[in-house]
Amino acid sequence: MTISWLQAALLGLFASLSSMPGMGGSSIGNYTLGRPLVGGLVCGLILGDLKTGIICGVAMQLVYIALVTPGGTVSADVRAVSYIGIPLAMVAIHAQGISPDSADAANLAKSMGTLVGTVGTVLFYGTATLNLAWQHIGWNAVEKGDFKKLYMVDWGLPWVSHFVFSFLPTLIMCKLGASAVTAIQAALPMDGLAMKTLFTVGSLLPCVGIAILLKQIVDKVTDFVPFFVGFTLAASLGLNLVACAVVSLIFALLFYEIDMVKIKKASAGADLDFDDDDEEDI
Amino acid sequence: MAERKKISKKTLTKSFHHWYYGHLTCFSQEHMQTFGYLTSMLPIVEELYDNKEEQKEAMQTYTAFFNTEPQLGTIVVGVTAGLEEARANGDSVDDETINGMRAGLMGPIAGIGDSLIVGTLIPVLLGIALGLSNGGSPVGAIFYIIVWNLLAYFGMKFAYFKGYELGDKAVEFLVGPQGQAIRKAIGIVGGMVIGGVAATWVSVKTSFQMKNSAGEAFLVLQDQFDAVYPGLLTGIFIVFCWWLMAKKNISPIKVMLLLVVIAFVGVLVGFFNPGLSY
Repeated sequence: MTISWLQAALLGLFASLSSMPGMGGSSIGNYTLGRPLVGGLVCGLILGDLKTGIICGVAMQLVYIALVTPGGTVSADVRAVSYIGIPLAMVAIHAQGISPDSADAANLAKSMGTLVGTVGTVLFYGTATLNLAWQHIGWNAVEKGDFKKLYMVDWGLPWVSHFVFSFLPTLIMCKLGASAVTAIQAALPMDGLAMKTLFTVGSLLPCVGIAILLKQIVDKVTDFVPFFVGFTLAASLGLNLVACAVVSLIFALLFYEIDMVKIKKASAGADLDFDDDDEEDI
Repeated sequence: MAERKKISKKTLTKSFHHWYYGHLTCFSQEHMQTFGYLTSMLPIVEELYDNKEEQKEAMQTYTAFFNTEPQLGTIVVGVTAGLEEARANGDSVDDETINGMRAGLMGPIAGIGDSLIVGTLIPVLLGIALGLSNGGSPVGAIFYIIVWNLLAYFGMKFAYFKGYELGDKAVEFLVGPQGQAIRKAIGIVGGMVIGGVAATWVSVKTSFQMKNSAGEAFLVLQDQFDAVYPGLLTGIFIVFCWWLMAKKNISPIKVMLLLVVIAFVGVLVGFFNPGLSY
């Protein structure tokens, strides 16, 4: 499998749209095109192998199931994961002759995409830094009351940042990386230590993605309970995710009702202090 | 006395669209969503004030730093649209009122939005989509694209207009006791679905075996683990990663590097073996 200049350029365009902060806006850009699952669909369409694209996307999505960027600190760059990592992983899978359906293919995609995504954070800082120049133009415009320029600053000029830090890196990495990946894969035997480690890392990496998510929702140890109930439903009882979600609704409803009763009681209790007449109502 | 100025529906919608698209396009570490905010307030300021000096003064308010969770944060933009309208009508609203409100809401809204939208809604949608895309089908990806974008667009529009109409009250509902109860309930759904995602899609398995002299395995460690609790090893690894990041404040990148080391050692001692073959 090879990547043509045109294909690489298209990937570069999607990289510009999808990054955080991307030119597609965050709802369509970062949170839609930037998600590896969607990236897999787009890369599959561009490279003409939808199935392998989606499979790589699914694998990568697990590692980055919750890419939260609190205060603008990033641990991975979505444009690099989705539009450099996935295409290169697709090339690697083909070069190795691994069946796209196998767990090996998914694990290879995870290792590969995560490596690229981590290194890709450089692109995030590059874009944000170059945007400072446009913001400088913006401050002058506000100062002078030349407000129309703000649209140029917010929607137009950042394209330059993305040409430099999204389009060009993606173009070059996809075009040249494809042959490099093929060469490296040929040099390393599949049953060697390096490859075994690479694939094992691939199977471990999603644990970090899930853990990042848990960091968001777990404050105290008891917050783990819903997580492990869901885990048990799927692992031991074999329920699929929609079924898990439906079962969880009953618990959600119960918790909500209990909390509302507590709130009512608390406010009724507060009322008591001021007005004894309410007593009969309770 | 002059008639009370009112922002037209068309201008509000324009302002919303500017925010919907441009809140992060010109992001820098120094001024994250500030320019998105400026372009969003510009149509409103231009409609409310005819005088250039007044426009300048109003726009100056929004040059202050702004950053929050952008989806839920739309509500703040809506509230400021309402406040700006009040200021244009001579109500007692000034720079400090508006920026005090903005600065006060950024943090809580970011916290709620990150856990509710980025930490729950998106992963739940993705979790369902992953199941639909199993085996390389595009259905899951398409499902996610459609459902998420409809929810994001109409949800944000709703938040903007509620913020404009209700002002502070819209936010009170979010951070108030009933809002908290709803968030807790949604958190339960999120936690359980993520548990399901982990059990379905993450698989850490050991290949460790003990063999007798005839070469037959008499102890297959993975089978023992499965007998105790299916997915035990996966669960342990996830909690371990969580503990490192949440309790030891280790960055995700360092945790990933540690996993590389664990994988390498694991392969060396025969605990892990992906069973590769040509």
